[in-house]
Amino acid sequence: MLSSELARPDRTTTHGRWFLDRTRLDALIVALRADGRTVIGPTVSDGAIVYEEIRSAAELPAGVGDEQTPGRYRMTSRDDDRVFGYVVGPTSWKRWVFPPMIELNSGKRVGHRVEFTPARSTPERLAFIGVRGCELAALGVQDKVLDAGQFRDADYRARRRSVFIVAVQCTTAASTCFCTSMGTGPEVERGFDIALTELDGGFLLEVGSPDGAALVDGPLATSLRPASPVDVYTAAADVAATRARIGDPLPTAGLHDRLLAQLDHPRWAQVAERCITCGNCTLACPTCFCTSVTQKTDLEGHTATSERFWDSCFSPGFARVAGGSFRSRPRDRYRQWLTHKFGTWWDQFGTSGCVGCGRCITWCPVGIDVREELVAIAPPVSLTPEPQRVEPVAASFDDFVVAQVVATRQETIDTVTLTLSGADPAFSKGNLGQFAMVGLPGFPPLPISISRFTVDGIELTIRGAGPATKAMCALKIGDQLGLRGPLGNNWPLDRAVGRDLVIVAGGIGLAPLRPVIHALAADRRRYGDVRLYYGARTPADILYSEELARWHSRAGIEVHQTVDRAGPEWEGRVGVVTQLFDTASWEGANAVAFVCGPERMMQATSNTLAGRGVTPSRIFVTLERHMECGIGLCGHCQMGKYFVCRDGPVFSLAQLGDTFSREGI
Amino acid sequence: MTAATGQSVEHGHPSRGGAPRPRVAVVKLASCDGCQLTILDLEDRLLELTEHFDIVDFPEASSARNNGPYDVLFVEGSVSTPDHVRRIGELRKMTRVLVTIGACATSGGIQALRNWADHDAYRAAVYPTPEFVESLARSTAIAEHVPVDFELRGCPISPDQLVELLTALVTGRRPQLRDEAVCMECKRQGVVCVMSAGGIPCLGQVTQTGCGAICPRMGRGCYGCFGPREQANAAGLARYLGTSGERSREDVGQLFAGFTAYAEPFRSTITDLGGTRGARRAGGGGRTGGGPGPSSLGPTSFTTGGDDDGRH
Repeated sequence: MLSSELARPDRTTTHGRWFLDRTRLDALIVALRADGRTVIGPTVSDGAIVYEEIRSAAELPAGVGDEQTPGRYRMTSRDDDRVFGYVVGPTSWKRWVFPPMIELNSGKRVGHRVEFTPARSTPERLAFIGVRGCELAALGVQDKVLDAGQFRDADYRARRRSVFIVAVQCTTAASTCFCTSMGTGPEVERGFDIALTELDGGFLLEVGSPDGAALVDGPLATSLRPASPVDVYTAAADVAATRARIGDPLPTAGLHDRLLAQLDHPRWAQVAERCITCGNCTLACPTCFCTSVTQKTDLEGHTATSERFWDSCFSPGFARVAGGSFRSRPRDRYRQWLTHKFGTWWDQFGTSGCVGCGRCITWCPVGIDVREELVAIAPPVSLTPEPQRVEPVAASFDDFVVAQVVATRQETIDTVTLTLSGADPAFSKGNLGQFAMVGLPGFPPLPISISRFTVDGIELTIRGAGPATKAMCALKIGDQLGLRGPLGNNWPLDRAVGRDLVIVAGGIGLAPLRPVIHALAADRRRYGDVRLYYGARTPADILYSEELARWHSRAGIEVHQTVDRAGPEWEGRVGVVTQLFDTASWEGANAVAFVCGPERMMQATSNTLAGRGVTPSRIFVTLERHMECGIGLCGHCQMGKYFVCRDGPVFSLAQLGDTFSREGI
Repeated sequence: MTAATGQSVEHGHPSRGGAPRPRVAVVKLASCDGCQLTILDLEDRLLELTEHFDIVDFPEASSARNNGPYDVLFVEGSVSTPDHVRRIGELRKMTRVLVTIGACATSGGIQALRNWADHDAYRAAVYPTPEFVESLARSTAIAEHVPVDFELRGCPISPDQLVELLTALVTGRRPQLRDEAVCMECKRQGVVCVMSAGGIPCLGQVTQTGCGAICPRMGRGCYGCFGPREQANAAGLARYLGTSGERSREDVGQLFAGFTAYAEPFRSTITDLGGTRGARRAGGGGRTGGGPGPSSLGPTSFTTGGDDDGRH
């Protein structure tokens, strides 16, 4: 044991660091109780580590850990005697600062008179032992909700202000933890009186408030020695390891806006099939604050008491008025909860309503994981980075870079795909829908969409319609050609994440869309239903027919084809491409559409899509115009306020407005 | 809760003090009398209630008979015989506020498990002379036959809810009979979830509260004796319970096949999962519930007189 001389802390700092031997932990509880506090801490009860009143360190869960997955909690035994070697259990501290039931007032009716008497009582002084980073943050959220606005909850304030907080840095984590994503843990940085980090022989103790300092300087002094650099280092390393173990399970950048933009997402109905709307998540949540008030009367009806108790937005009656419930369907209530917790809470209280403790995941009896739902409903933007603008090469009137044909494929009688290699690396890094200006000496350079990106080059699919394109189609393996690019903008595939995607192509219009299909097939699960409608003039004019079959059978893409004129061999549909989805059953409210083909076909398709509920801002077309430079300098491709080469070629209908369907623009 | 009309009762008959007291009666159909015993178990509170109510007929408590009309009538038991159908119709006509009490009256009771089985085969298996037993093929809730003003759920009912209902009736306010999951009560009480922490299947999520979460509090799963709560997602719970691989479809269905099996959506969940185990064992199987309404309930033969009128 250390002498009090040695243990005497430096009184000038409240941020000293000390070492509390495991055998002296009881001194902390004794000191807090001697201060007239009821000590609440972790203890084992009914198969879980719960928070209850504890009277000595012997009641702490020594050597007990926990294992948590969605819908499942099990205690485990550790091979050490650590008392904070678990994560968080079913109880949250709100039980003490915002109890499940409090009496509000009593009322009396005496003749014509009424009397109300508030039931306010002076709460007992409390100490919480073992408050984790996420839990401290939850108390902070409650402070903002209940004790920061114009109107405040006096009962909460009185209870909350009485609490002495012994925080604990997390050195263990469960699969349900996501404090790292929510910015609340596993470290504790403020809002505590004393913070502990559990080490092998004891605890690194940090002081966070004058009350904490008073305890350290006073009754705890003889139980402490100054922390060694190794103690400090080990504690920091253990907490950092916990952070690494948790990772970043819920990308939150832009989550508020992403989520609130998805009020019509079909996933709400899907999760409501699983959700029992039992309300466990809300009552396990350390920040959910909804309550209801009930009256109890005596048989005479003269006196009544009002009680306030925890309630949940998941109960059908919670939003009910005489005419019915405003959120009558389970999906409405799930949406209310999730959008409040992760979205509108910010608007109301300037903070997230979620602290990432994972209780709603573990204690959901049917194992619904909010993180999974959020990623499905509001896909993280970080998964779909804004396409990096590739700096084009040879982007001038006078220059080309040279590439070599390494393979050719006759797609149809007049259409050839050239595989090019040896071009500048900029080309293979190009974006979906970009084009190259392609030049052969003696012919005018032509804009050709890139129909595939390969590791070291690109493919171009060219229909031999005029002298220049016919010359290109005639190139053989080993021949060279000149390129500028990649140029133009791209199909906004990120807009389709979490939505249905409708791709409509006519004839050679499938070529600029082919990289889109490659990209989404590579990460198919991020998109809803994907449907490709493709129309060609005749069966012999169908491009990429082997790939079409493969996309349909293996890539999870519904491929529908039609031809304008059929031969005897053709067993498929005949007619214009819009007829393909005239009879389909899907609705477009959640869809994004990419359309490429002759302008008249794109107009007709856009009208049909709009009729199915796809909004103009989500219908994208790629425009064809006369281009000579590809870099917005020659003036040929002007269309209203745009240069199609520079500002396009991909435009949303909302961008184009009525210029799109207007003749002569 | 069904048809919470929020009506109060008029004070029709004078009490000892001269103030008029509403006439209250208790009757039973097919039931075990446990809910009536719960009324008696109120003890001191029952005496206090008699200051405000004139209990005119209560066979479990007194041999004094009175045939109505009633301001408040508590009906225990399910409709199980042709005579029950007739009686409940008559009782409804002479009653202002009809309150069904207990799982039998509000859902058909444990005896409704026969609704999935071959009624004749069951009767032959149980009674030595089945031809003398007059019973309906299905045991059903009172509300399937006549309009019901209030329901008190449970097997047996909660004494607190009973007092609350009577207090509300006498003061003219809406009774506080919450329609929410048993889970809410567990969480408020700090009961550790037996399903998440114990792996015990629990119907608390789909069951109406009111019991005080008595079973989970004792470390066992709720078996739904208060019956399904509003919009109970029984199918969702059944799907989840079936996905762990620990239980067969039939095992999952059997979890719902308790005292309130015939209340929707427990009823269709059991049916979807293949009916009740008992019915399968008895080789009934011909019927899989979902069944006919009151209009198709047909008499079979004579009355037994044993379980239908509560006079012992």
